[in-house]
Amino acid sequence: MINITIVQAGLREPSSTAMLASLMRKHLEKQYFEAGQGVQFNEINLREYTHAIMDSLTVGFPSGELASKIQKLEESDGLIAVTPIFLASMSGLFKTFFDTLSQDALKSKPTLLGATAGTSRHTLALEHSVKPMFSYLKASVAPTSVFAATEEWGQSTHIEERVSTASKELIALIKNYDKRDDSKPLSFQELLNSKQNP
Amino acid sequence: MEFGIMTVGDVTTDPTTGKTPSEHERIKATLAIALKAEEVGLDVFATGEHHNPPFIPSSPTTTLGYLAAKTQRIKLSTSTTLITTNDPVKIAEDYSVLQHLTDGRMDLMMGRGNTGPVYPWFGKDIRDGLRLAVENYQLLHQLWREDIVNWEGNYRTPLRNFTLAPKPLNGEPPFVWHGSIRSPEIAEQAAYYGDGFFHNNIFWPMSHTKQMVELYRQRFEHYQEVPAHKAIVGLGGQVFMRKNSQDAKREFRPYFDNAPVYGHGPTMEDFTSQTPLTVGSPQEVIDRYAGMREHVGDYQRQLFLIDHAGLPLKTVLEQLDILGEEVIPVLRKENAQGRNPDAPSTPARGSKKIMKVEDN
Repeated sequence: MINITIVQAGLREPSSTAMLASLMRKHLEKQYFEAGQGVQFNEINLREYTHAIMDSLTVGFPSGELASKIQKLEESDGLIAVTPIFLASMSGLFKTFFDTLSQDALKSKPTLLGATAGTSRHTLALEHSVKPMFSYLKASVAPTSVFAATEEWGQSTHIEERVSTASKELIALIKNYDKRDDSKPLSFQELLNSKQNP
Repeated sequence: MEFGIMTVGDVTTDPTTGKTPSEHERIKATLAIALKAEEVGLDVFATGEHHNPPFIPSSPTTTLGYLAAKTQRIKLSTSTTLITTNDPVKIAEDYSVLQHLTDGRMDLMMGRGNTGPVYPWFGKDIRDGLRLAVENYQLLHQLWREDIVNWEGNYRTPLRNFTLAPKPLNGEPPFVWHGSIRSPEIAEQAAYYGDGFFHNNIFWPMSHTKQMVELYRQRFEHYQEVPAHKAIVGLGGQVFMRKNSQDAKREFRPYFDNAPVYGHGPTMEDFTSQTPLTVGSPQEVIDRYAGMREHVGDYQRQLFLIDHAGLPLKTVLEQLDILGEEVIPVLRKENAQGRNPDAPSTPARGSKKIMKVEDN
């Protein structure tokens, strides 16, 4: 069974960010179904955890339901992350959520990025501002990310096509994802011996 | 089992009056708190070490030396002594002298310190924190056990034919704790040397504390070749009490809401459910802390933080009265009940095995 976590930072109801995330989910379900493979999703709708995320920032650790969601995220085979674009960048809530993760939480994690905004003028915010954060976290980001402006929701199959392509890329990344952690910290014995063998 | 208090030594404005104590007042208050701790029957007083405002304990052995002369019974300790930025030779000297002054009524806890800018002031780099803790303690351990020390490392000038003076009292080095919140390497270090492991869990959920203590006990068994319950475990704690639970909550809330570290974050109710902070009646504190050993096994030391966040001296002294009269006597009984008779009752080396690091 493939486990995929969906993090989305939509604020309103209905939310185009949530819509894009569920479209991605639908495509992945379909593609995995056609391949005869099971997939399940761990959904993190950040709005529900607004207070918990800020608390985690002030006290230094996530707790309760947020903590178990984050643990599931770390154990996931893949990640879908979708944010609204505010002021030419990801939303503050979206950024803050990732601020609370450990440095290695997304290491090599197959990741599909998506963003929504009012107009297509924000299209490249995904490339310029969202992607660098995931590069810093060493996530393995699918080459195609999906941007959806409000006007596009009414247009034919534009978004669907991109989501379909991006989903295929994510599935390919997940296939090659080796979850084993090869970056173990120095053991105490190694630390102890490092004086003898500098 | 030992019960005591630990102070951070923060100078913090009392949010209910807007009054900030002077450094002088805070230092004198710390002494009054320590003396009161002995008076109400506590076993341990421990002071932190900080080298930046708003903290006052930059010279712990000065304070502890003064207290040694003013007290008869209470054990004097640290929470923590910076093994990273202090010269291990100076730590060996300072605490050897303190051990003689107190006739052995002391121990100390190693810690790394988490304030980045402090390291460069002492010529160090916080990124070397773990390596410093390991190398410096290796030297300190050797200084307290070997007559003539020849030593060379990465972070300090080499020693040739160095002899520590004074030597530990009766040739018995002070008992050492290693404090760490999330570094498994430090739990491992404590286990390797057969020293105590202190998990200062005051800002952490019990699930995490349990994990760290379990790791330490396992590794202790491995290195010392004795059962895991022989390991020496200490925990932090934080309480505020009044006769009526609601009065305690009402009085402590402004201090909680404005406290350094966790203030302006979660609600007091959330934080008390997630961490060992207990605000309520003495009975509530007893219930919570009598249950700690269910998570970490029979342990040896419980230290409470009771004097931070701007609480006035008068209030802190009242807290000590409640601790000494109503809480600790019951906790002593509770912890004695059903305790594994093989688990050490107080901190002392849980094994006679001496880890000697190869000479280079």
